[in-house]
Amino acid sequence: MSAPSITNYIVKRPWLKRWMTPLAQWYTDAAGYRRIGLKADDLIPEESEVVQTAIKRLPPQGGLRPCLPYSPRIPGSSPTPFTCSISHTLLPAEEQIKPHEDVEYLSPIIREIEAANKEREDLDHLTVRK
Amino acid sequence: MATAANPTFQYDVSETAGVKVANREVNGATGTLALVAKAGSRYQPFPGFSDALEKFAFKSTAKRSALRITREVELLGGEISSTHSRENVVLRTKFLANDLPYFTELLAEVASQTKFTDHELHEVVSDLLKYQQQAVYSNPEAVAIDAAHGVAFHRGLGSPITPSQSTPYEKYLSGDALAQFAQDAYAKSNVALVATGPNSAEVSKWVGQFFAGLSTGGAASQYKVQPTAASKYFGGEQRIPSKAGNAVVIAFPGSSAFGTAGYKAEASVLAALLGGESSIKYTPGFSLLSKATEGFSQLTVSTKNISYSDAGLFTITLSGAAGQVGTASKNVVDALKKAAAGEVSSEDIKKATALAKFRALESVQTLETGLEATGSGLVHGSKPYQIGEIAQAIEGVSEQQVKEVAKSFLSGKATLVSVGDVHQLPYAEDLGLSA
Repeated sequence: MSAPSITNYIVKRPWLKRWMTPLAQWYTDAAGYRRIGLKADDLIPEESEVVQTAIKRLPPQGGLRPCLPYSPRIPGSSPTPFTCSISHTLLPAEEQIKPHEDVEYLSPIIREIEAANKEREDLDHLTVRK
Repeated sequence: MATAANPTFQYDVSETAGVKVANREVNGATGTLALVAKAGSRYQPFPGFSDALEKFAFKSTAKRSALRITREVELLGGEISSTHSRENVVLRTKFLANDLPYFTELLAEVASQTKFTDHELHEVVSDLLKYQQQAVYSNPEAVAIDAAHGVAFHRGLGSPITPSQSTPYEKYLSGDALAQFAQDAYAKSNVALVATGPNSAEVSKWVGQFFAGLSTGGAASQYKVQPTAASKYFGGEQRIPSKAGNAVVIAFPGSSAFGTAGYKAEASVLAALLGGESSIKYTPGFSLLSKATEGFSQLTVSTKNISYSDAGLFTITLSGAAGQVGTASKNVVDALKKAAAGEVSSEDIKKATALAKFRALESVQTLETGLEATGSGLVHGSKPYQIGEIAQAIEGVSEQQVKEVAKSFLSGKATLVSVGDVHQLPYAEDLGLSA
């Protein structure tokens, strides 16, 4: 799932990071996914074996995102990203995802699985030097 | 401690970095190292914990992934395995003698740094546990022996060695819970290392280096290794319908392991006398049960004294066609009555004594059984196996003692478990046993 990224290049250079951070924050906010109740990790395409495995490994309470259709008659339901999307509406400001709530919940697991896959690959092509 | 009389049987016992180590110098190109932890199904806090702990051995640790461990061991040409019994979880490694430091480090790592991740539990360990259940519960003899322990000892020794498919054990199992159990199970005071090989003297050096970081016991929690309550024999009857086959186990309170207070050499002599399985091909042998069941072609009989650190179970197992098992169990009880009445030739008792002695000594000498027996002796705080004393104890058994122990079986409360086509299998009452 990983796409080419210049994050590491920037993070290693503090002056560049200082310079880029506000820009990145503005960009992420402008992307607008937080306004319909999504987190960055919700945007990861799930049509891959790695992501499917990662979703299975999520702890039970974090495994399901609210997906009930919104209706004032259904108690406990909330306008979800899906309903927001089809009705072309945004959530009220207090219900939008705040920057501090937009944390990685899936990516660490994906990185773990990718590391394990890479290790498997490496060990399969291992040469023994004595 | 290798004396001239028995140069290779004796284990040299020492304590390094707070861990008990027994080693035995054996000439040859390979060595073995086993870790015996007092964490078998008897001591588990909830069902399935010992099984899961056993199956989590050599999985990902803080330093290496499970795959890396497997590949490294493949490259070195060793063998790693883990098993558990009612009293112990045993991690075994076998290797070329030069690789001793690597495998010592590996065992220390497994014991102290296994990660117990939830995804390994769900993706690997719980599947392995299910296969284990299928293997155990499709074998009527195993089911009968397990149920006999349950009837005889209730909790502790009586808890099933592997939870049955209908046991709700999943709700207790989690990575966190197992990690807490492991911290206690692999604590310094709860494990013993048993090594054999040409350079076993180096063992304590490597153990001192790698095992220093082993935990000294987990924090107080519900997942601790359960304290030892002295085993008590109850006895009774249980009938389990099954389509897998037929088995009947007739059990009595037997002898505990050698070196413990409840050791009775005469029980092992009686086990050899009753027997049922011949140690020589193409002949039924001298044993009373093989004679008593000679006419039955679809039947196997065996007698064992299964010994533990503070109790034992003397079991007679019959398995085969339901009708034959039913009829033969009456013959078995008659044979036991004959032994109790002393209607056995002294020559047969001599043969039985010789066989019992051979079995006891062989089980210590054979690596597979000897490793666990030695380690178990160390963690349970009894005397380590001493060849000379076992032989003496068994030789000293008199005809009268064998008769007495058979008599006590018949007068006390028996344990009877029937598995299979219970419509055809006998009740204790039919056999003339009180259960």
